[in-house]
Amino acid sequence: MLEYIFGVISLGLIYVIATTGLAVFTGFTGLFSLGHAAFFAIGAYTAAILTYFYGWNFYLALAAGAAAGGLVGFLIGYPTLKAKLRTDYFAIATLGFGEAIRVLLENLPITQGARGLPGIRGETNLPVLLVSAALVIWLARNLIRSRHGRAAVAIREDFVAAEMMGVDIFIGRLRSLTFSAACAGLAGGLFAHYFCFIQPSMFTSYMSTQMTAAVVAGGMGSISGPVVATLIFIGIPEALRVANIWRLVAYGLLLVLIMVFRPQGLMGYREFSLDLVKGWFGLARKGGKA
Amino acid sequence: MFLQTLLTGLAIGGIYALMAVGYSLVFSILNFSNFAYGSIIMLGSYISYFTMVKLGMPIGLAVVLSIVGAALLCWLNERLAYSPLRKRRASSLFFMISAMGTAIFLENLVYAIVGAHFYAFPEVFTKTNLTFLGASISVLDVFAIVFSSITIYALHTFLQKSRTGIAIRAASYDISVCSLNGVNDGALIGLVFMLAGGLAGVSGTFLGMKYIVYPTMGWITNKAYIAAVIGGLGSLPGAVVGGILLGVLETFVSAYVSSVVRDVFSFSLLVLLLLVMPTGLFGRFLEEKV
Amino acid sequence: MSAGETNVLELQGVGKRFGGITACKDISFTLAKGQLMGLIGPNGAGKTTAFNLITGVYGLSEGRILLEGAQLSGQRPDRIVRRGVARTFQNIRLFRNLSVLENVVIALDCHEVYPLHASFLRLPFVRRREKGLREEAFAYLEAVGLADKSGARADAMPYGLQRKLEIARALALKPKLLLLDEPAAGMNPEESYDLARLVRRIHDEFHLTTLLIEHHMDVVMALCEKIFVMNFGEKLAEGTAEAIQQDPSVLKAYLGEGFKRAQHI
Repeated sequence: MLEYIFGVISLGLIYVIATTGLAVFTGFTGLFSLGHAAFFAIGAYTAAILTYFYGWNFYLALAAGAAAGGLVGFLIGYPTLKAKLRTDYFAIATLGFGEAIRVLLENLPITQGARGLPGIRGETNLPVLLVSAALVIWLARNLIRSRHGRAAVAIREDFVAAEMMGVDIFIGRLRSLTFSAACAGLAGGLFAHYFCFIQPSMFTSYMSTQMTAAVVAGGMGSISGPVVATLIFIGIPEALRVANIWRLVAYGLLLVLIMVFRPQGLMGYREFSLDLVKGWFGLARKGGKA
Repeated sequence: MFLQTLLTGLAIGGIYALMAVGYSLVFSILNFSNFAYGSIIMLGSYISYFTMVKLGMPIGLAVVLSIVGAALLCWLNERLAYSPLRKRRASSLFFMISAMGTAIFLENLVYAIVGAHFYAFPEVFTKTNLTFLGASISVLDVFAIVFSSITIYALHTFLQKSRTGIAIRAASYDISVCSLNGVNDGALIGLVFMLAGGLAGVSGTFLGMKYIVYPTMGWITNKAYIAAVIGGLGSLPGAVVGGILLGVLETFVSAYVSSVVRDVFSFSLLVLLLLVMPTGLFGRFLEEKV
Repeated sequence: MSAGETNVLELQGVGKRFGGITACKDISFTLAKGQLMGLIGPNGAGKTTAFNLITGVYGLSEGRILLEGAQLSGQRPDRIVRRGVARTFQNIRLFRNLSVLENVVIALDCHEVYPLHASFLRLPFVRRREKGLREEAFAYLEAVGLADKSGARADAMPYGLQRKLEIARALALKPKLLLLDEPAAGMNPEESYDLARLVRRIHDEFHLTTLLIEHHMDVVMALCEKIFVMNFGEKLAEGTAEAIQQDPSVLKAYLGEGFKRAQHI
C-alpha cells in the first residue's frame, strides 16, 4: 500500500518538474505551448540512450537530458519567437514542431522507432525526485523574483508596454522557453528511468494538455499553484482509478470552467504562504505586499 | 494524371476552403483562432453519419441536419465558453485556453460515449466515377466541388448584399465601431458562429464521406489555419483561395512525391509562411494601434 | 562645438506613409538639452505618429531621427528605450494586474544588469540589488505623490493617479528624452493644472528634455518654451508660445481666432 502511495507521489513529482517549467512559460510569460511533450520526450530519450547504450552515469545523463530539452527549446524558439507570431499561431507552430519531433523519434535507428526502448535502468527513486523537484521549484522561484522574471511578466501583461519599458521581448520569451524546455527534459529523463521503458506514443498531446491544464488550474502567475494542481491531477485520478478518456473529458471541461468562472485558477497571482493559510483561519494581518 | 490530380486536388481544396472560411469568419471578427472549430466539424460529421446510416434518413436531410446541428453547437460553444470572456475583455490567451478546453472536452466526450471506432460512410458515393476529359473523378468529389462553390457563392452574396452581411463585414474591420453604430454585437457574433458552424457541418460531412469518421478528425482544421495563412489572415476571399491552393498543392505533393510527406509539407509551408510572409496573399496589415 | 552635440533630439525631413496615406511629411525640428517643447495640432495631424516614429514603433518612410547626434531611427523600440527615450501613452498602458510599485520596478529593471545565472542562484548581491530597486522605486513614487498607494493594483486607482504612475514609470527609465503623449487627456481643469505643475516640477528638478503632445492649451502655453505646430502631417508653424498664439495660420487651423493666453504656471 505504502509502495503504491510512493508510486503515485513519484509520478506526481516527475510531472511537477515539467509543469513548473511550463508555469514559467505559460503562466508567467504568457505563451501557449501545444507541443511541450516533445521536450519531455527528448529528455527521456537522451538520458535513456546515454545510460542504456553508453553506460553513462545516471545524474550526468539526467543533466544531458535537461540540456538536450533546453537546446531543442532554444532551437525551436529562435525562429518562431523572432518572427513575433501571434499567440495562437505560435501555439500552432509548437504543435507542428511537436509532431515533427515525434515523427523523428519514430524513425531514427537509435531510438528504435515505434517499438521503443525497453530495459532502461530503474534509477529514479523518491529521494532523487524530491531533490530534483525542490531544485527546479527553487530555481523557478528565483527566476520569477528577479528582474528576468519581471520582464517575463511584463511581456505577458502587455508586450507593447513591456517593449516601452526597455524589455527585449524576444530574449525574454526565448529565455522562458529554454528554461521550461530544460525542465521538461529533466522530467523526461527521470520518467524514462522510472518506467524503464519508453516509446514515442507515450509522449502525446495528452501529456501536453495535462501539463497546460495544471498550469491554468493552478493559477497563471503562481509557482506553487501549478505544483499543487499537478499533484491533484495526478493523484486523484490514480487513486480513483478513473479511466484515461474520462480524465481528458474532465480536463477539457475544467479548462473551460476555469476560464469562465475563475480564470485566476487556484492561486491566481499569489503563492502559498503562511499568511495565506492564516487568512483561511481568519488570522492574517491586513495590508498588501508590494 | 495531371488533370486527375488537379481534379482531386480541387475537391479536397473545396472542403478546405469551406473550413478555412468558417475559421476566418470567426477570426476576422474576434481576432482569435477558434481551436474548438475542428471538434464542431467532427460533430457535424457524426451527425450526418448517424442520421444517415443509423437512422436511415436520405442524404439531403442528413446534410441539412448536420448543418443545423453544427450551427447550433458552434453557437452554443460561443455562448458558453467565449462570451463570458468577451464580456470581461479577457486577453486572447484565455480565449485560446477556453477553446482548447472545449476541443478536448468534445473530442474525448465522443470517444468516451460513442467509442473509438472509425465509421465509414456507405461507399455508394466514392465508388461511382465520372469521366471528364480522360480523367476519372468520383461523384463525391464532384459533389464536393459543386457544393463548396455554391455555399461559398451563397455566403459571398449574403455578405455583400444583405444588411446583416454588411454588418458582419464591417465588424471584421472593427467590431467596437459597429456596436457604436447600433449593431447588436452579441447577436452578430452569435450569428457569425452559426454561419461558421453551418460551414463546419458541410465540410465535416464531406470529410467523413471522403475519408473516415472518428473522434479526433477535427485536427484536420490545422489545414484550415494553414489555408487562412496562405490566403492572408483576416481575409475571407483569401481563405477560399488559400483552401483551394492548399488542397491542390497537397494533392500534387501526395501524388508526385509521396503521401506520407503530405502533412509534413503542409506544416512546413505554414511555418515557412509565418516566418517569411505572414500577411499571406490578401492579408490585411494587422498592426496594433499604439 | 557643433549643433548636434547640444541637441538631444533631432528630426530631419521625417516622413511616414501608410499605404496611400501620408501621416507625416518633411518634419524637421531640434530639441536642445533641457528644453520643454510642445507638439500641437488638430486631431490626426500626425503628432502621435511622430512619437511612434521616435520610439521606433513605426519605421520611417523617409528622413532621419538622431538622439544626441547618433542615429536613432531604424532601431528596435526596446533598444531605443535603453538608449534613453521614455514615453507615456495617450491611452494609459500600465501593467494593470501588477502593483503600483512593481510597475515602477519594471521600469528600473531597464538599466539593471545583474546576470541570469545570478538570478537563478539568488546570489547575495542580487538580493541587495533587489532591495535597492524597491527602495529606489519607492522614491520615484514619493516624487509624484503616490507613495501611499505602492501596494495597490495599478488599475484599481483613479484615472488621475494612473496618469501620475505612468509618469513615474517613465521617469524611472532615467531617460535623456521624455515624450509625454497627452498626459492631461480626460482631466478636468483642476487636475490639468496639477499635472502641469508636476511636469514643470519634474522638468526643473531632473532637467529633463521633454516633448509634450497636448490639447489643453493652457497647459501647453504655460509650460512650453518652444512649440511646434502640425497640421495634416506637415509643419504648420514653429516658435515661442507668444509667437504661435499670434500666428494667423495657427489661429485659423487650430487655436481659433478668439484664443486668450492662460496664466503662467
